[in-house]
Amino acid sequence: MKVEMTQKPFVAITYETTESNKTGSWRFLKPRYQDKTSPCSAGCPAGEDVGMIEMLARQGLFEEAWETILRENPLPGVCGRVCFHPCKAVCNRKDFDSPIAIHTLERFLADAVAGSGFTALKKVPQKNRKIAVIGAGPAGLSAAWFLSMLGYPCDIFEALPEAGGILRWGIPEYRLPLAVLRSEIARIERMGVRIIPNRAVTFHTFDELRKSYSAVFIGCGHAHGTKLGLTGENPETVRDGLEFLREMRKGKSPLCDGLSVVIGGGNTAVDVARTIIRLGGTAVILYRRRRQDMPASGDEIASALEEGVVLEELIAPWALEGSGSRTVLLLRKMKIEGEDKDGRGRIVFDGEKTVKKVVDHIFAATGAEAAEPWHSPPLPQRGVMGFSHCVLCLEDGGSPVIYGGDLTNEAKNVAQAIASGKQATMVVDTYFERGADEIKPRLEACRVGNGQALSMEAYLEGPRGGRSSHIVQYGEINTDYFRSEEGPAQPRLSAEERRRSFKEVESGISADAAAREASRCFNCGLCDQCDNCYVFCPDAAVIRGRHMEDRHINYDYCKGCGVCAEECPRNAVIMGEEGL
Amino acid sequence: MKQVLEGNSAVAEAVRLARVQVISAYPITPQSHIVEVLSDYCATGKMDARYLRVESEHSCLASLVGAACAGVRTFTATSSAGLAYMHEMLHWTAGSRLPIVMAEVNRALGAPWNIWSDQTDSLSQRDTGWMQFYCEDGQEVFDTVLQAFRLAEWVNLPVMVVTEGFLLSHTYEPVDVPDQEEVDRFLPPYNPAFKVDTKNPFTFNSIAAPSIYMEIRHDNAVAMDQVLERFDDVEKEFEVIFNRRYGALEAVNCDDADIILVTSGTITSTARLLLDDLWAKGEKVGLLKVKMFRPFPVESICRALKTARKVAVIDRNFSSGAGGIFLQEVRAALCNMQERPLVFGYVVGLGGRDVTTALLNDIYEKTKDSNVPPDKSIWMGLREVKT
Repeated sequence: MKVEMTQKPFVAITYETTESNKTGSWRFLKPRYQDKTSPCSAGCPAGEDVGMIEMLARQGLFEEAWETILRENPLPGVCGRVCFHPCKAVCNRKDFDSPIAIHTLERFLADAVAGSGFTALKKVPQKNRKIAVIGAGPAGLSAAWFLSMLGYPCDIFEALPEAGGILRWGIPEYRLPLAVLRSEIARIERMGVRIIPNRAVTFHTFDELRKSYSAVFIGCGHAHGTKLGLTGENPETVRDGLEFLREMRKGKSPLCDGLSVVIGGGNTAVDVARTIIRLGGTAVILYRRRRQDMPASGDEIASALEEGVVLEELIAPWALEGSGSRTVLLLRKMKIEGEDKDGRGRIVFDGEKTVKKVVDHIFAATGAEAAEPWHSPPLPQRGVMGFSHCVLCLEDGGSPVIYGGDLTNEAKNVAQAIASGKQATMVVDTYFERGADEIKPRLEACRVGNGQALSMEAYLEGPRGGRSSHIVQYGEINTDYFRSEEGPAQPRLSAEERRRSFKEVESGISADAAAREASRCFNCGLCDQCDNCYVFCPDAAVIRGRHMEDRHINYDYCKGCGVCAEECPRNAVIMGEEGL
Repeated sequence: MKQVLEGNSAVAEAVRLARVQVISAYPITPQSHIVEVLSDYCATGKMDARYLRVESEHSCLASLVGAACAGVRTFTATSSAGLAYMHEMLHWTAGSRLPIVMAEVNRALGAPWNIWSDQTDSLSQRDTGWMQFYCEDGQEVFDTVLQAFRLAEWVNLPVMVVTEGFLLSHTYEPVDVPDQEEVDRFLPPYNPAFKVDTKNPFTFNSIAAPSIYMEIRHDNAVAMDQVLERFDDVEKEFEVIFNRRYGALEAVNCDDADIILVTSGTITSTARLLLDDLWAKGEKVGLLKVKMFRPFPVESICRALKTARKVAVIDRNFSSGAGGIFLQEVRAALCNMQERPLVFGYVVGLGGRDVTTALLNDIYEKTKDSNVPPDKSIWMGLREVKT
């Protein structure tokens, strides 16, 4: 028996589209895509767009990632090696498992792409104003790089036979191989920068430059170390640490047999001690405070100790006795009593205790100073405008002068020097284009987050300038979408190998490891088109496009439920009241 | 061919032979064996069906609503808390007129935790618009699943085939499993009146304003009312091929009984044993097995019970404050009869406690000895618990 259905069920079916029901009218909170500032980018003195760089690297777009670095920093190969990565200290991922190895990735990108023949950044039309740069150190090179990006022809005058400044003549080969530095400088030259070596600018020729160039940038930095101030101190009894390093980089083998003491707690002191070890000597660092108070990088100190450098804390030089090959160094013991303004323990003499040390060589590395007084910026006065990383001087009698580099920076390292070159570029360009009054507001508009770092991309009115200055906090990351995973181990030579040679201590990681490490990055505050908003939107109101900027919300139907903002792993969606 | 099958496997075999196309399920004891077997069939290709793993029973039924809208035959199985979690979607399924078939393996609801048989889970869903059929043994389970698809697709309403945790689900019995060709003769491919058509898009179950909502609900009620007749038609078709039929109700010796026991599910089998004993003693006792609970076959129930003096309704379920649920329904069914039996209600076997012939005999004796039925169900077999 077969029974046919006699009638269709009465089912609610409509051929009208549900689009007639504009559910967006129910909304009282409105989601909005808003890229924000990642803490690493604000923590980087050069203001690198780290979150974006890692996003590109994760996708295997190494050239684009590298180019993104170059927009803010002309020296990624250098910084990937010698920068002490303040970015890593503020990485939100540290609260999840471990921070991203940002410097390792920077170095990988620089090494991987530099040799690929890829030429980043298009040249722009040249401007009429030509700019002189004195000193081819990191600040001068950076100033020339950024000025070229804006179209200013630049000539760099360098006193020594080769460009690089402290990078070329100070930092030892085992930290920064010469080939890496040369490749970076060659790229800067390809931007049109002319570097003139062996051309020391004197106070007299400086004046001439002020007449023949539209502006002069001075980034001469520190030429030699400061003296210890001991009786009997002379260049033979107490040798300058910086000079010692320079001799090394000139290819000489300065004498350091027997027992050397290095006085100081900064990176120069550590570099000198490690170099002595490599030359077969014995090195003891004497520091008047404690290890945790040393300005030198903790990693560098640890490496030095592994290599056999001895560190003696709370001990300060007091006097010299004797002379010649065996000098007697008289030292006072120190102790901690209370706290200094900067939070470090205050040191005082530990009674009358003294120690005698018979040593072969004494190296001073307690500070450094400029070679010539005119290298330093003038004191604040009429016609002088001071900024965080440079000083603009508009005295009469010539073109404006911008002072930068270590002589204007509070913290003295490569990344700060790059920041100085960048800030100086913005200062001089704004001065030329819009006048002195516009400089401060313009710099303010280019700040990355709330720190001192500046973005050249923002200055050039690139997309980065549209981001919120809000720095994404760990609590704003939806960590449900991330899996705990450790970062790559940093490959490095054994302590034994290091003691025997000047070969680079650290080596790079593979492309696979780099992409994997980049994929750990939260990309704080940056939309990476993960489509969580699209998938979760209950009103199908998220509209995707082929390009990132095409992604938008159809407010006719968005009910403002906030699921998109909640499920955005990266805090790139915000909810705000209507009309805001 | 007769096979010795676990009750849950009987369900799975029927689903396989019914050529179900989409199965969605979330595991829960004592139902899990059903979907474990089916997922295996899907994985190995023994069934040409898509098995959806879901994160909850709510999503399970929601996904089947989608699949059924697309015009395919669908199945799920659940128990207890899983069914409770489906509650919203149970209404939606019926309102959508989708012929989804579910095996509901009775299990008590917490708290406290209990995994054993108890009908309160399925009876709590009596108002959701699903048909409900309560089964007595493995063969009936198998047959009812096949009938359920035929019936559901005929009247465009979903069906719950209710079995019992462990007593049916985990018990092995001989089951006559027909071959595919016979089942195909009984159950034609599903050919819905409406299904998703990307070439001619329309919206299912968009908003229905007050001006039309009542008519839609009424049509739903009419369809449910037709089930009494359609089920009979389906059983006739089934009998032609398989030579078995059950009826919405089964009345055993009701015409000649002073007292009729009203049962459902496996308690019916126990009652059948008691009846043999009582008849041997000359007692005038009958038995009414209620298989179809939704729609509730009021007229047939009145007809079956009208000549008895007393009726004892036995419930393995309980609605707090109102008594056994079958009791409520039977009383309501009889209320407009001029001459009607006294109706006694008994609550037994909650949370899987054994219901023995001795317990049923106590119920019979109690009913026989009393002429004033209490308002509420009498709890039978309670232990004295010191507190």
